[in-house]
Amino acid sequence: MIVKAKNVVKRYGEKIALDHFNMEVEEGEILGLLGPNGCGKTTAINCILSLLNFDKGEIEVFGRKMTSNSYDIKRQIGLVPQEVSVFENLTVRENIDYFCGLYIDDKNTRKKYVDEAIEFVDLKDYVKFYPKKLSGGLKRRLNIACGIAHKPKLIFLDEPTVAVDVQSRNFILEGIKKLNKEGSTIIYTTHYLEEAEMLCSRVIIMDNGKDIASGTTEELKSMITTSEKIVVSFINTGDEIIRELKKIPHVIDIDRNNDDFIIKFENGANNLTNLLNFISENNLTYTKLYSQQPSLNDVFLELTGKELRD
Amino acid sequence: MNSLIRNCIYLGKNAFRDRDFVFWTLAYPIIMAIFFNAAFSGMMNLNMDNIQIGMTSHNQIRYIFEEMDFFDIHLIDNGNYVDRLHNDEIHGYIDDDFNLIVSKSGVRQTIIKEVLEQIKQTIKLNRPISGNEFSVNYISNRNQKANSLFIIFYSLIAMVSTYGIFAGIETVSIIQANLSYVGIRMNVAPLKKINFLMAGTIVAFLLNILSNGMLLLFINFILKIELFEEYVYTLILIALGNLFGIALGVFIGSSNKKSFNVKTVMGIAITLFLSFLSGLMGPWIKAIIDKNAPIIGRINPISIITNNLYRINILGNKSSAIEGILILLLYSILLLFMSYVFLRRKSYDSL
Repeated sequence: MIVKAKNVVKRYGEKIALDHFNMEVEEGEILGLLGPNGCGKTTAINCILSLLNFDKGEIEVFGRKMTSNSYDIKRQIGLVPQEVSVFENLTVRENIDYFCGLYIDDKNTRKKYVDEAIEFVDLKDYVKFYPKKLSGGLKRRLNIACGIAHKPKLIFLDEPTVAVDVQSRNFILEGIKKLNKEGSTIIYTTHYLEEAEMLCSRVIIMDNGKDIASGTTEELKSMITTSEKIVVSFINTGDEIIRELKKIPHVIDIDRNNDDFIIKFENGANNLTNLLNFISENNLTYTKLYSQQPSLNDVFLELTGKELRD
Repeated sequence: MNSLIRNCIYLGKNAFRDRDFVFWTLAYPIIMAIFFNAAFSGMMNLNMDNIQIGMTSHNQIRYIFEEMDFFDIHLIDNGNYVDRLHNDEIHGYIDDDFNLIVSKSGVRQTIIKEVLEQIKQTIKLNRPISGNEFSVNYISNRNQKANSLFIIFYSLIAMVSTYGIFAGIETVSIIQANLSYVGIRMNVAPLKKINFLMAGTIVAFLLNILSNGMLLLFINFILKIELFEEYVYTLILIALGNLFGIALGVFIGSSNKKSFNVKTVMGIAITLFLSFLSGLMGPWIKAIIDKNAPIIGRINPISIITNNLYRINILGNKSSAIEGILILLLYSILLLFMSYVFLRRKSYDSL
C-alpha cells in the first residue's frame, strides 16, 4: 500500500471539508478522485501531503506517517498542483531545472532528467520562453514537467486539464498513461467523468468530503440498478406509450426528452431485442435507436441524487 | 552547499528579471535622491556672499553691515528702492528707522531680518555696536560640514538600506504554501527551509548592496555631494542596515497569516515610520526626538544608521558606531532566528 488514509476529518471552521474520508492506493495504479468542485479532492491531497493539518484520522504514505520534514518520503513524491506553480521570471528550462534540483543533486543526472521532462511534455521549442509568453495549455505542460522531472514513484495530479484546449488535454492524458507505464503510481483528481473512465484503473467517488464509492469503473457501474440505457426516438407519439414501454421486461424507468425516450433497464438479457419486438408489434416508427452502457455520471446520480456537473 | 548556490542563482535571476523589483530596488532610491536634492539643495548651495541690501548713505547701522563680508551695500538716497527690489537688484531695503522692506520672502531676506533684529536688540541693550568685531572668525576648526541636507541624505541611505525588507517578505512568500502557488510545490519538495532562507537572504543582501552602491555613486558623482569621510564604518553600517531590513522582511513574512500585499504594506509603513523618526521628512523631527526621547534614536535601526553616519562622517566621532553596529547585528540575528522558528515544520490550517 503506497497511500492509506483512514477516517480523515478536516474542518475549516464550521465547514467540514473531509468527513471520515478513506483512501487506499496500491503501487502501480492510477487512482482517480472523482467528484464535483468543492467536494474535498484537493483538501484530501493536501492532507496526505501534510500541507494541511487535519482534525482526526490517520494517513500513511509509503507505510509511514508523513510530516513536513519527512524528506526521504518527499523525495519519492511529485506534485502537479491545480494552479500553475512556477516562477514567472525563470524560463521554461530554468523552472524545470530548479524544481528538479530540489530532488536531484547530481548535475549530470539532473540535466538528463530535465531534457527528458522537456521531451515528455513536448516543450522543446519553448525552453527559453518565460511562462507569461506561453498559452494556457503550454503552461499546464510546464506545470506537469516541474512536478514529474525527478521521476517520482508517486505522482499527485490535481485537475491538470482544467482550462486546457482539447489538443493539450489529450496530450496530457496520454502522458499520464505513459508515466504510469514507466512505473509511477498516480493519484489523479478530476471532475471530468470521461477522463476518469479513460484513465483510471480505480476510482473513488467523492461528495461533500466523503468517499461514497470506490472500485474499477466496471465495479462502480455494477453497483447501480441501471445496467443499460436505450435511447429511442419516436415520431408523433404521446406520453401514453410510456405506460406500454414499462411493460417490457427489466425496464425500471423511462425519461422523455422531446421525441427521445431514454429507457433504463436493470440487469437482464436481450433488452434491445425485447424493445425491437415491442416496436414491431405496435407498428411504431422510430428515427434513431441506440444502446448505452451506464456512465460514471449515472453512478454518481444514483448515489447522490444529483448530476456530477451540477 | 551546491543546493545553496543553486538556490542563490535562481532566486537572483528571478528577482533581477522582475521589473517591479528592479524599479523599487534600483531606480526608486535614485529618484528619491534626485527629488531630495531638488527640494532641499537650497539649504546647502546658498551663496552667502551675494546678499544685496539697500539703505541710505546716512543710515546709522550702515557701517555694521559693511563689516560683514556676505552683504553688499547699495546706497539709495533718492528713495527709489521699490523698483530695485522688484528688479531683484537688492534683496531687502533697510530704512533709517531700521525697518526692513522686502518684495518677497526667502532665505536671504530671512538672514537680513535676523541680523537686523540682532542689531536692534543690541542697540536696545545700550551696548555699543562698535564693540562687536565682525571680522573675527570665532570658529577655529572649519572642517565641519554641518548641513541639514546631509541628514536627509543619510536618512535616505538608511531607508534604502532597509529596503531589503521587501526582498525578505518575497523570500518567505516563496516558501509558504498559503502565500504562493510556488510555495505549495516548495513545501512538498524535500527542501530544508533554512537553506532556502539563507539563499534568499544572500540574494536579497547582494541586490540591496548593489542598490546602495548605485545610490552612493549617484550622490557622489552625479549630484556631486561628498557625504563620507570615514568609509570602513560607513560601509559596515550600510551593510548591516541591509541585513536588518532583510531580517525584518523575513520576520514580517513568517510571523503572521496576512496576505502578501498586507505584509508589503506593513513593510512600507514600518520603514517610513522609522525613517520619519530618524529625520527623513525634516531634521527638526530628529532634533525633537534627540532632545525629548533620546532612547528612540538609540534603538531605532534607521536612526542608528543615520546618527552614526552623521557622527562618523561629519563630527568625526566613532564612539557610538560600535554600539550601533552591535545593536543592528543583534536585531538581525534575533529576527532571523524567530522567523526560522515560525517557518520550520509548518503545516497549515488552510491554503
